[in-house]
Formats: sequence, structure tokens, C-alpha cells
Amino acid sequence: MSIRLSDGLLKSVEKPSRYTGNEWNSVIKDPKTVDIRFAFCFPDTYEIGMSHLGMKILYHLLNERQDCYCERVFAPWTDMEAKMRENNIPLYALETKDEIKNFDFIGFTLQYEMSFTNIVNMLDLAGVPLTTADRKDNDPFVCAGGPCAYNPEPLADIIDFFMLGEGEEIINEVMDEYVKWKGTGKSRIAFLEEIAKLEGIYVPSFYEFDYNEDGTIKSFTPIKPQYPVKIKKRIIKDMDKVYYPEKMIVPYTDIVHDRIMLEVFRGCIRGCRFCQAGFIYRPVREKSHERLMELAKKLEESTGYEEISLTSLSTSDYSQLEEFTTELLDEMKERKVGLSLPSLRLDSFSLDLMEKAQKVRKSGLTFAPEAGTQRLRDVINKGITEEDLLNAVSLAFNGGWHGVKLYFMLGLPTETNEDVEGIADLAHKVVHAYKRVPMEKKGKGLNVTVSTATFVPKAFTPFQWEAQDSIENVSQKQMLLKERIRSKQITYNYHENKLSFLEAVFARGDRRICKALIKAWELGCKFDGWGEYFKYDIWMKAFEECGVDPYFYATRKREYDEILPWDHIDIGVSKKFLINESKKAYEEKITPNCRVNCGGCGAAVFESGICGGNGIG
Amino acid sequence: MANIRTKFKRGDEVKFISHLDLMKVFERAIRRARLPIAYSQGFNPHPNMVFGLPLSVGVTSEAEYGDFEITDEQMSVNEFLTRLNSQLPKGLEIIAAKARKSKDNIMALIAASRYSVVVGINSPCTEKDIKTSLNKYLAQNEIIVKKRTKSGIKDTNIRDMIFDLNFEYKPCGTFSIVKFSMLVSAGSKANLKPELLIDSIFDFMKLDYEIERIHREKLFIMAQNQLLDPMDGLVL
Repeated sequence: MSIRLSDGLLKSVEKPSRYTGNEWNSVIKDPKTVDIRFAFCFPDTYEIGMSHLGMKILYHLLNERQDCYCERVFAPWTDMEAKMRENNIPLYALETKDEIKNFDFIGFTLQYEMSFTNIVNMLDLAGVPLTTADRKDNDPFVCAGGPCAYNPEPLADIIDFFMLGEGEEIINEVMDEYVKWKGTGKSRIAFLEEIAKLEGIYVPSFYEFDYNEDGTIKSFTPIKPQYPVKIKKRIIKDMDKVYYPEKMIVPYTDIVHDRIMLEVFRGCIRGCRFCQAGFIYRPVREKSHERLMELAKKLEESTGYEEISLTSLSTSDYSQLEEFTTELLDEMKERKVGLSLPSLRLDSFSLDLMEKAQKVRKSGLTFAPEAGTQRLRDVINKGITEEDLLNAVSLAFNGGWHGVKLYFMLGLPTETNEDVEGIADLAHKVVHAYKRVPMEKKGKGLNVTVSTATFVPKAFTPFQWEAQDSIENVSQKQMLLKERIRSKQITYNYHENKLSFLEAVFARGDRRICKALIKAWELGCKFDGWGEYFKYDIWMKAFEECGVDPYFYATRKREYDEILPWDHIDIGVSKKFLINESKKAYEEKITPNCRVNCGGCGAAVFESGICGGNGIG
Repeated sequence: MANIRTKFKRGDEVKFISHLDLMKVFERAIRRARLPIAYSQGFNPHPNMVFGLPLSVGVTSEAEYGDFEITDEQMSVNEFLTRLNSQLPKGLEIIAAKARKSKDNIMALIAASRYSVVVGINSPCTEKDIKTSLNKYLAQNEIIVKKRTKSGIKDTNIRDMIFDLNFEYKPCGTFSIVKFSMLVSAGSKANLKPELLIDSIFDFMKLDYEIERIHREKLFIMAQNQLLDPMDGLVL
């Protein structure tokens, strides 16, 4: 049933066009003509959700099916939520304004642990039972995918099934099974049992955990013998053949990335040991530059956007970057389309490229050395040296840039005060490099920003066994760094440690913390990632009331032989490789990138991309 | 270079878009339609287009105006209209387009606007009550309202900004619906927002009310000492 939103209500909230839909390229269908209604839910605001590439892909992919209508749902901002609750307006989908309680699927994309309370809140707003156990036959199936699904356990009670890995193929397979099941009168479990046979589907309620006295996991067991013991992630083998939308929704209101997103490759050749994305998205698989040109042209025509951004984990590593960007800039020149180039490694080619790309602001460039000393950069396998950085900033300063942002992490394994002080030293060296640039080439007024985030150990990284540094320790390190930064041209920013602590709890949590999540929501937590709404004390209260020790998850070091809550998920990269990488970290030994030398991580089982199989790496 | 003035509608589907965002909508529609729009020079080129008086968020209209400069002198205004319409989202529609010679900026010439405003009244009252108090209201020499300006909230006399004010009355169960039709000052020199006038009227009448919808029916520009339709040949 379609809900009614009065003008008065919409006028009383911030940015009402978040809630009204009707954007260009949004899909209009008659819901009566489809078998499947899918609510694609993003557990954050419209502006964040609409900037997410995965949603753009899966929205159009599902809507290509005649039998399915996929609509978008975002977390209403708190002002809108209050109005909705006041007026008994349930959570609705943007396209039809129908309440999503009556849909067949409610699918969440999990991009960030700190959006988990929004999932609970959205289900509640929709009027859907919060837990799998409470859902009845006529309730929708609640599913989820995305990077945080690689450790699905903290949401095990809430999500009926997870889709692991890249969704383009698996989601269609699930929809096919659903069409077969719908109307047969068979139970919900019968459907879940059917899809559990598909590679990449994980149904948490089909499994049980046993625990040791010290709280660690004793065993993980399928309830029935036919349920798979290992759930293997899905990957797309051929990036040139995979579905990619030829149109994208053009929002009315400003979103974070308001431009064409062109995905150049998946995966990353660099094995930074803290980076989850670098492992879960293996192997590296590229799109050919011909396919990218074709998509760029079609998307420009269908959206009218004036800017294209190349997206991937590290765009400089695209093997055909030079050929492709030259051709793209040439093609788009007449149309006055600008190119936005995130995550480039700075060398003379990329600087030249940035000059040519239209939307360059000469003020700001971003670098992520991550650690202050070479020793610690070797520990984390960052693969850049001080010389690399200083060469790059000198090049940039000579080219007229005068703002540099430097990103670092505090609390990395083996970190000492010397490493922390190294951050200040490095920033001062950057200031020094600016001083050496001839006057006539200098932009006006140097501005170096140093930002530190707190390291969060993540599942499926060589650091997954590490203890997170305590909130107090990191605060001390922040103070130390603040003291050490002596130049007025350097600004120092740091993150909220307490938020990182919570992130660490959920990044490696097991299913016992699910009740604390629901409790925290009951006590008023939502939009935790938004500084003004983060309520640390309430979270602590929720943990206490549920008898959950957050330190057990965040600040405890694990042994290599401990059963981890995500051990039943198979990402292709072997545990043996991760252990080896973890040991190499302590030996301060680096592992070369996948193009220089295969490290034997195990992703070759997929027989794709850089690991062999079809196409170049 | 050719200049085209368009008159367009803004419906319910797009009434919550801000003025700035609406410009983006047009810019992207023009790009999709591959219309030969002229761009400003400079580092960040912008299409040469000027819109009439910005409409408040939530207000619909059948009298919005936009001036576009195109580089192709041969293109017919009809083709311009058809191609642009094919790329505009639901709720936006060009209803007329005319070539113009004048370079006058439409924004600077706007002088008055006619709105219809539907108001629900929650307290008991009759048609006669409203008529009597409205006459009293308009008979005042000065009507002071608090107006939000760039420098803060200021007392402003709006009496001279009200040119014409009528209403239709409909009883509706325990409450009543009144549809006002108002011709008021608009533009950069003096601008009276319909919400502000309604608030002032009901403040005066001391009735409990709610604005249901606001719709712009007409927009006038001042030229040759008269109020003219922006599509009038005299001003094109």
C-alpha cells in the first residue's frame, strides 16, 4: 500500500528531496506486473547511499528482470524519522512509496560496521520483526551483502541469509529460486535450504556455535549434515562481460559522489596488511579499456553528468591507465566532461594527468603513508618509502600545488613512540620540501594536514589476530604527536578513539554480540558513524546489560589456532598465507605486489584476472 | 548566438527541489538533449542560462521562466522545446518557448506574482467572518511583519506589496477550506512570499490554520511602465 506524505510534513524536514524519488533514470514499473518486490536498503542517508556504486549496479541489474521491481530505501534522517513515527508512516520505498513490509525481500548492503544500528532501526520502522526467529511466513526475507558480510556473525540473529562476494550473478540465482518457491506453499526454511545450496549463500540460522570456558569458540556445526561447512565467496570472472548499468540515477540533491562512476578494476595488487579490501576482493580483475570507453560514452549520454570518476582501490595500478585516460580525455573534451582521479600514486605521469583533467583544484592532494617510519611501513607492507613521498610532494609543489593531506594510523601492531614521532618528522620534511621549491613556482601558502585514524584489526587480514591498541594508549599517542608538531603550517586532526573501539568490536564480533546491538538500538543508538549521534556510554551500558565484554573482541590478542567467528567463510586467500604474512610483519619483511611476484595467497583458485584465467591482471 | 525564453511548469514531483538544484537539473537535461547551449568562459564553464524568481521549496508553478543562450542560430525554438522536454524529469515541462532579441535579465525585471494558496482552517468560522476581517486587514495603512533578511529579522511594512487579494470559501465538515488568490510584489526590489502574507492574515484574524498548498499562477515583469507577461512580444 502506498503511504501518503503530506506537504506540511516534507516541508518541515531538512532536504525533503531525499524522500520523494522521481529522479532521472529511476525505474518506474507497475508493481502488479512483477513476481518479486525487492527493497534495496542502504543503512545510511540518501547522500551516502546514492554515492555507492554497488547499489547502482544491483538496482539496475535487478530491474532488468521483468519479474522483479527493485526499489531504493535509505535511512531517514532523525528529523524525518521523528515525523514518520509521529504520523505512523512506515518505512517506504522511494519509487512507489509503498511500505516495504509487504515486499518479498529487504536487502541491506553492509559497508560499515557503524551502520548496524540503522539496520535494526530501519526494520523497526518498516514494522518487520527484528530477528529471523520472529519472522513469519508472510514477512519479507531479510538479506545482506557487502564487505561487512565477510564477518556476518554480529548480524546473525537479524539477517535471514547473506550473499558473500560480488553480487551480480548470485542475486539473480537467488531470485530464480524465489520465483520457483513462491506460491508453492512450502515453508520459509524450504526456500532458505534451496538457496543454501548456491555457492556464496550463508544462512546463519542453519549453524550452531559452541564455546570454550574462556569464551573462545569451540566449534561451528551445521544443524543438518547437508548444509555446507564452508561458504565460498563469489567472484565475477570476466569483468568485461559482467553486467554494468548503462544508465545511473541522477539525484536532484547534492550527494557525496555526484558524477559518473566508472569502475576500472576490482581487487588490489598491493597487500597492505591492515587492509581488508586488499584481501577480500582478490584476485585483481580489470576491465579492458575498450569496454571502459564504451561504458563512459553510454553513461555520459544517459546521465548528462559533467564529470567521470575512475573508481577502484588504487587507480594508478590499472595496467592501461595511460592509454585509457588519454583516449577518454580526448573523447570527452568537446563535451566538457571532467575527470576525477581519486587514489593516484604521484609520479610525473599522474601529475600531468591531473593537470589535464578538468576539475583539478591546485590546493589539495592526499597521500596515505599510514605510518611514520620505514620500519613500521614495512611491518604493514605499505610499499612506499619516505623518498617516494618526498619526491611526489616536491613534484606537486613545483607544479603549483600547495596543500597536502597526509593520512596515518595510530595503534598499528609493533608501534612505538618513535614511530609516532616519525609522523611529525615526516610532516616537517614535507614542509621542508616546500621551502626548497623556487619562489616563482610556488603556490601561495603551504598547508599540510596530518590526520590520524585509530587502527582497527579486521577479519581476513594478516592483522586479524592482533589486539587493538587501548583507547588510553592511542590518546597518549595523539597527545605526543600533537606536541611534536612544531610547524604552524601543519594542522593535526585525529579521529574519535571510542568509535574505533566499537568498530573493532563489530569487525571481529561473533553472534553473541547481536543482542547487545539490538539493546543499544533500544537504548537510542543510531547513526553511530555520525559524530553528533554516537553515544559511547549507552553502548557500554548495552554491553553490560547483555553480559557482553567488548574488550574480549577489541583488545584481546588471538592465537593462530583459535577458531575465529568467520573461519567458515572462504575468501580464497588461505589462512596459512595470512599467518605467514602476520609473521613476516613481525620480521619487518615486505611482500612484493602481485605484479612483481605471486605471493601464493590462494586466490589463484578462482582462475581469474591476475592469477591466470582470462584477461590481463 | 540566439536567445530563447521558455515558460515551464513545475509540478508536485519536483516541487521540493531547491532553486540551485533545479539549475543542475536543467543543465544535465540540456547536456543529455545535446542542445547547443553557450557556455561561460573560464576555468569552470557554466551554461548560459538565467531563471526567473526562485520558487520556495514545496511550491508548484505553471509560470516559471528560463532564458537560454544557444550557439546555433538556425535551431528553431520548437526543436529546442521538444528536445529539452524529452530529457526533463517528470514534473518539469516546457510549455512555451520564444526567440528573443532583448538581452535584459529576466531576474531584474520581475515585479509581481499571482499565487493561489489553499488553507485549511481548524477553528469555526463563516465566509462572512473571513470577508469582514480581510477587509479590516486590508484597510490598515501599515501591515508590519517580521521578515527574514540577510542581516537578520527585520520589521517590514507589506501593505504596499499586496496588489490584489481574493478568496473562495468552502466549508468542510468541522473545519473549512479557503483558497486565496493573491497578486503581490515579487522580484529583487520588493518580494512578498505568499506564506508570509498568509501568516500575517491569520495572525490578524486569530484563527488556527494550515497551508495546504501554494501554486504560482502567473509572473509579471515591469517594462514600459506596465506589468507584462514575460512571454509578451513587447519584452522579448
